[in-house]
Amino acid sequence: MAVRSTRLKRVVGAVTAAAMVAFVAACGGGDSDDSSAGGDVTLEFAQWWGAELPAGELDKIVNDFTTQNPNIKIKLISAPYASTKQQLVTGAASKTLPDVVGLDGAWVNDFAKQGAIADMSKLMTDANYDSSQLASQIQLEGKTYMIPVVNFVYPLFVNKDLLTKAGVATTPKNRTEFLDAAKKITATGGNVKGWALPLDTAVPNGIQNDVMSWLWASGGSMLADGKPALQTDAVKSTVEYVKSLNDAGVIAPGSLTMKEQDKVEKFTQGQVGMMIDSLAHVTLIKKNKPDLKFEIAAIPAEDSYTGKRGIPYASWGVGISNSTKHKAEAFKFVSYLMSQETNAKLATLANGFTGNKNAEPDFSNSDPLFKEAFEIYKDSVPANEFVGLPKSEDLMRSFDEQLQLVLTGKTSVDDALAKSQESWTSVIG
Amino acid sequence: MTLLAPPAAPPAEQAAPARKTLARRLVPYGYLSPTIVLIVVLMVVPIVMVISYSFRDNVIVQENSVFAGFANYTKVLTDPDFLVAMKNTAVFITVSMVAHLVLGLTFAMMLNTQLLSGVTKAIFRIVYILPWLFTIAVIAVIWRLLLDPSGVINYVLHSIGLINDGVNWLGDPGKALWAVTFINIWSGYPFFMISLLAGLQGIPNDLYEAAAVDGTNWFQRFRHVTLPQLRPVIISMAVLDLIWTSQQFALIWMTTGGGPLNTTEMLSTYTYKQAFSEYEFSTASAAAVIVLLLTMVLAFFYVRQQRER
Amino acid sequence: MAVAIKTKRTFAKAGVITGLIIGGLFAGLPVLWMLSTSFKSNGEVFQNPPKLITSTFSLDAYTAILGNGTQLRYFLNSYIVAIAVTLLTLLVALLAGYAFSRFNFPFQKTINAVIVSVQAVPPITLVIPYFGLVVALGLYNTYPGLILTHMVFTLPYAIIMITAYLNTLPKELDESVKVDGGTGWTALWRILVPISVPGLIAVGVYTFMISWNEYLFALTLTRTDDMRTVPIGIQMLMGQHSYEWNQMMAMSILGSIPVLVLFLLFQKRFIGGLTAGAVKA
Repeated sequence: MAVRSTRLKRVVGAVTAAAMVAFVAACGGGDSDDSSAGGDVTLEFAQWWGAELPAGELDKIVNDFTTQNPNIKIKLISAPYASTKQQLVTGAASKTLPDVVGLDGAWVNDFAKQGAIADMSKLMTDANYDSSQLASQIQLEGKTYMIPVVNFVYPLFVNKDLLTKAGVATTPKNRTEFLDAAKKITATGGNVKGWALPLDTAVPNGIQNDVMSWLWASGGSMLADGKPALQTDAVKSTVEYVKSLNDAGVIAPGSLTMKEQDKVEKFTQGQVGMMIDSLAHVTLIKKNKPDLKFEIAAIPAEDSYTGKRGIPYASWGVGISNSTKHKAEAFKFVSYLMSQETNAKLATLANGFTGNKNAEPDFSNSDPLFKEAFEIYKDSVPANEFVGLPKSEDLMRSFDEQLQLVLTGKTSVDDALAKSQESWTSVIG
Repeated sequence: MTLLAPPAAPPAEQAAPARKTLARRLVPYGYLSPTIVLIVVLMVVPIVMVISYSFRDNVIVQENSVFAGFANYTKVLTDPDFLVAMKNTAVFITVSMVAHLVLGLTFAMMLNTQLLSGVTKAIFRIVYILPWLFTIAVIAVIWRLLLDPSGVINYVLHSIGLINDGVNWLGDPGKALWAVTFINIWSGYPFFMISLLAGLQGIPNDLYEAAAVDGTNWFQRFRHVTLPQLRPVIISMAVLDLIWTSQQFALIWMTTGGGPLNTTEMLSTYTYKQAFSEYEFSTASAAAVIVLLLTMVLAFFYVRQQRER
Repeated sequence: MAVAIKTKRTFAKAGVITGLIIGGLFAGLPVLWMLSTSFKSNGEVFQNPPKLITSTFSLDAYTAILGNGTQLRYFLNSYIVAIAVTLLTLLVALLAGYAFSRFNFPFQKTINAVIVSVQAVPPITLVIPYFGLVVALGLYNTYPGLILTHMVFTLPYAIIMITAYLNTLPKELDESVKVDGGTGWTALWRILVPISVPGLIAVGVYTFMISWNEYLFALTLTRTDDMRTVPIGIQMLMGQHSYEWNQMMAMSILGSIPVLVLFLLFQKRFIGGLTAGAVKA
């Protein structure tokens, strides 16, 4: 017994010591200084772009910047979109945002109101920055809080093989043709459906990308003078159209909890014939299914509509933390991202369109689909009315819940729009 | 079990000088101090912060928040979504707990059988704890994959002729709550099972032998020996399981996000949406405090159960 | 008679084996599918009809993860955090359990009730104030921040179990040390700890599992790759637009191995340790 306990005492002692060592080592490991000695500045740049670009490309772009500006170091904090969002929301709430942050237009209003992101108009003036080169700026009360760096359009993706198999000769251009094509694709049997509609409420982006896009394509609007206007003929016809697609049984099953990833997956697998999706996905689809034959087109408009079509877009935006001590340096980095050369490079890598008017993405090495998409883009008006709205995710979600009621036959289109109007008004009105 | 009072201090200590007694009295607190410091700093402080948020308006979002009294509580308690979330949570945790108990007990008894060799049982033990080894994010993803309308489960059910069309397990408002409950049952039974297995192995064999001599059958032995002996473990585990299941967030969020049509909205997802997408940190805190009070009721029963033993 | 008993036994045995197999399928098939997915290419994940083993069976997902410094770093972080949490939880819980088991002091029941009910606090409700607190303490994005946080969640159960375990040991054991002139401290380390090893292992394995798989706080309290743990690493493979199915599954399989090995090594003692704590208290 005595022997045993001595041995165990030693073990316990060793274990305790190990724990202490681990702990002390750990304490030393996690420090990250804002600035190091010698007047150098380290900027943290949190974004989800690194996760979506080809591996290592964002690092290269950042390295070029540090070569030009040896006194500024950039520390990349890359995470996927959803995690970035969660971290920025907690960071904004506790005023500990990283110095430079990647932003989605949908977050800007809330972050700006919380005082978490800085007014960049002032920084532009201070830096004598020529803002006329920017294609767009996201403003709130006349102050710029976000600059879109790369824009992604959401055209209609069509599976050519399925369309041919269904006996449809041309890509649908209006709502009637689309419904018809969707029906014919569904009729080919198997598990194949005409269209995919992701309505998951955890990330309710489907409302923006897959529902409101129909409205914007026909020149409609969900707002009037910045106030919600959901009980209009245009919105009603959009919701009724989605309902008619649902009633016709052409929407892939599971749409009420379907996520954007599932939509892309189903299209890639040839389980749905058509979807509205970000152009950025072309590379991904080609990588996962090299033999899939598909093309892109403008989103079908109302049959009688002849005006310019709105095309939904999403941006990789950039903003500056209000709590950073190095605003000038941060803006220097932002202007580097927006510079003609860098901006074109980023856009080309990301398969998006540039935020700098003078920069043009280089399509020479990319898929011909991008050139085509660029033509569609130039023929249409970028439209995304959720950008800059407060609590936009919440707006999408409440609309989503009403739409789900409509699709499951639990409420009428009119009632759903009245309810949505009511809840939107309580947020925006 | 934790609250069994040790026997009174030996008389020798009472005779010791007063100063020494004081020092001696402080000894247990010394042993407890790391725990107390940790829990006060990292648990009690945030709880107090949440409670104070719940009585104020516009916390975090604006610089100057104002005292709001019980307004946030009224808002939460009259929100139909909150009441739905409460009902769903009740269903979710009760069904999960009962299923965990039934499955856990069945599996534990099979794994405790005398009929099989140790090696066979060890292999099955490993298989049975598999669901426990994975982080919740992966469990959510793998089950989304399995339960997809064109996923492998539907494929199998279809091939053996049980269903005609792809069933929409997570997307159908009538089925989603049961589907997420099923996933939670799958992911949560192993710990219940292991604890019950430990309990079974602690039942002295002579109790069974005595019962067998009395000519009882299997079921009678189960009812009159096994169950009464396991009662304390079952009750503790049931309460702990209710508490743990009520905290389940990531699983729901990553499978259904509370949908379709709020049918899987839980108190946890409701609170999360209030805070992270509506930026209503005050109402989120009020909801959190209500949830806290409800779980405290469970904890109270747990403590009392411990005290009785 | 003997034959009848023997047939009865055979039937019972067949019944138990059938039951075990059915239960095993329930438990194991999803994991098998996970394993199978980790060997597929991403394009084949939704293949119809589904196949367990596809023509392009490959270990690419595993080599991708094991060849990637960032992913390996996630594993290292998980080891550091989980091991530190386990050892520190055992140490702190042992001291607390000793106090509860061997002393009689004012507020004992209150303190115990507080510790027990801390388990009832839904973590999701604490995220916002907790985040602010951790930032204020300078522990954001550090190992200690994550370690201490995990300890708050593993300690209550550990204290309950260790107290129960110590309660099963007769008091005469430590009294004998005190008679020899030793203190409570020596009694704890010389006598109680050595014979509590099975109980400590049970609590340790449990704690390790909780910490290894913890997701919510690991996501909230870390932000750079040099601090992130495996569950977050797995989540990093879910992009905004697509999932790296095979890598995600491969990483889960790899991530489950340490926990599985722990269980394999200690399963007898793990269950034995729980037994003492659970029943004899």
